[in-house]
Amino acid sequence: MSKEELLDAIRDSIVNLDFDKSKEYTLKALEAGATPQEIILKSIAQGMEIVGKKFEESEYFLSELIVAGEIGKEITKILEPYLKGAEMKKVGKVVIGTVRGDLHDIGKNIVAMMLEAAEFKVIDLGADVPPEKFVEAVKNENPDIVGMSALLTVTMVEMKNVIDALKEAGLREKVKVIIGGAAVTEDYAKSIGADGYGANAVEGVRVCKQWVKQK
Amino acid sequence: MKFSRLEYTPKDIVFGFSKKFLRYGIDLEVGNGLVVPEIKYFPRVEKNVMEEYKHITEQLLKRAVALGTESLQLETELTYLEMEDKKLVAELINLQKSMIERYAKEHGLHVGYRVTVADIRDFGKPRHDEESFNKMMEIFELASSNGADVLSIESEGGKELFNYSIIRQDLTGIVSSLGYLATFDMKRLWKNIVSIAKNKSILAGGDSACAFANTAMKIAGGLKDNMIPHSLASIVRVMSACRSLIAFEEGATGPGKDCAYENVYLKVITGCPMSMEGKSSAVAHSSLVGNIIAATCDLWSNEQVENIKLFGGYGPEVFLEILHYDTKLMNMAIAGGQQYCLRDLMIKSDKLLNPQAFVLSPDIVYEISKVIVGEKDELSRTVASAIKAIELMSNEEKLNLSKGEKRFIEMAKRKLEEIYSSPSQKVEKALEQYVGKVEKLRVKDYLEA
Repeated sequence: MSKEELLDAIRDSIVNLDFDKSKEYTLKALEAGATPQEIILKSIAQGMEIVGKKFEESEYFLSELIVAGEIGKEITKILEPYLKGAEMKKVGKVVIGTVRGDLHDIGKNIVAMMLEAAEFKVIDLGADVPPEKFVEAVKNENPDIVGMSALLTVTMVEMKNVIDALKEAGLREKVKVIIGGAAVTEDYAKSIGADGYGANAVEGVRVCKQWVKQK
Repeated sequence: MKFSRLEYTPKDIVFGFSKKFLRYGIDLEVGNGLVVPEIKYFPRVEKNVMEEYKHITEQLLKRAVALGTESLQLETELTYLEMEDKKLVAELINLQKSMIERYAKEHGLHVGYRVTVADIRDFGKPRHDEESFNKMMEIFELASSNGADVLSIESEGGKELFNYSIIRQDLTGIVSSLGYLATFDMKRLWKNIVSIAKNKSILAGGDSACAFANTAMKIAGGLKDNMIPHSLASIVRVMSACRSLIAFEEGATGPGKDCAYENVYLKVITGCPMSMEGKSSAVAHSSLVGNIIAATCDLWSNEQVENIKLFGGYGPEVFLEILHYDTKLMNMAIAGGQQYCLRDLMIKSDKLLNPQAFVLSPDIVYEISKVIVGEKDELSRTVASAIKAIELMSNEEKLNLSKGEKRFIEMAKRKLEEIYSSPSQKVEKALEQYVGKVEKLRVKDYLEA
């Protein structure tokens, strides 16, 4: 296969969600003289664009969008040694977690994975995260955005505690705050002083992308 | 005890009747020709917990008397925060039971009281958080000593791998979670729960795969959502039946826990009475199975409602009234010999609209249950039942399946058949790869439990 054919084959293996094939073609493309930049632009980015379009047209599921994103990440890992230490460019940084007292993390995980697929650097604090841990992460990581999730009405009150703790630490103005999860609403987000609300993962990521674009 | 035959055919299974019906609580009969409302509630956050439980119980019992509800079941599902305070748990159960007893005596009510203990374990801790496991067992003991008639749990063994796998459509991970890891945890847990229940002469009700199958159902969402395939959520439900069955194999007698939609399978296999929820649990979550799931219930539940004020009263009493009328209609059908007609309408109204409803239809449940009881172990039955579900979905031309669903079904068939060729080998090999990649996954702790 020629270099061009291999670049197409990587793209197609991303669209077909075939990790093994994508890895095989990536190694062959590098051997055939493709640069990492070519693979990123012509294979990964194009493949992700096709998968994204298929998702928008309801042909693919969100889970498939996530899998494609993970394949893209794995290919990027293969390319890292060839990038001569140059860091992959990220569009922004997000500190994310499920608030204290709430162990439900699947919605938060979906958002985190979609953010990574959208080229954000994600610092995932996990579930049952106390306000002080959010504050510490904002101090240490200097993110653009803080994302919080809660499934239960009994735990969503913790979101306000996190915002208050950020204010107390003098960090609130440095970050945008977005909240989501089954228990919360747009009105609730406004009432506690969050900057944004995601009714679902797609919406949440869209809001984050918009914020970093405006920066 | 392993179940090796089925207790029902699709023709004879119906709401209100269970071969192994139960008498418990205060003169309550479940599964003996009557569908009983089961009401579940939770207190408002900002209020005093004990005052809230008192208020909820009082309004529920008053409303039952006002409506003429002769039989009912109350359920307290303990929260993570309540589990922190053993004294509080004992007091709130005791308080509710004494109020139930008073009302039952004064008004001739037949009442059961279920307590569901929260699974508070952190599976990332060594030995899967032994301290929390012991605390859960202490709370089961406390609940038994203070007035619970039925014990239940929504246990979460295997969930860390399931969460990782479901959002990636990773069938090997899902099988390894539900058909392998969860089985070790279920056996350990239910040996203990059954023993506690037996010592106090109360009922070991059953376990719900809420953390698995209801998570999949919730992510799959509505007809137009494209989050995960509905056919994936439906095979997760089928696999969950294999997992939740373990509670009964360890000696649970029912009534099964309400949010376990897989209870249809458990009723067909065990003949024990089951609680179920559907259209009247829309207050807690939406589903595409609101009618079909009622076709075989013995208790009928609202899932969960907060004690907030509505025009018609507080949330719990309003939902008790809804359940009262739902069950009254089913019971009237039984009294008039028309239960099969109503059952068939319930099934027909949902069955072909979505794969999740399809796998809860008694004829489909029957075919898949035959596979479940015919397999030699938990892992094999988990994979084989999913393959059967895929086959039945593929063969039903009238089932509403999108292009994406059909594509997933083809992929799932290939993958599951590959796993079924040597299940233990495939799963054990896969687990080696998940360790280190899946947060909190401690495979050894399952095997050594």
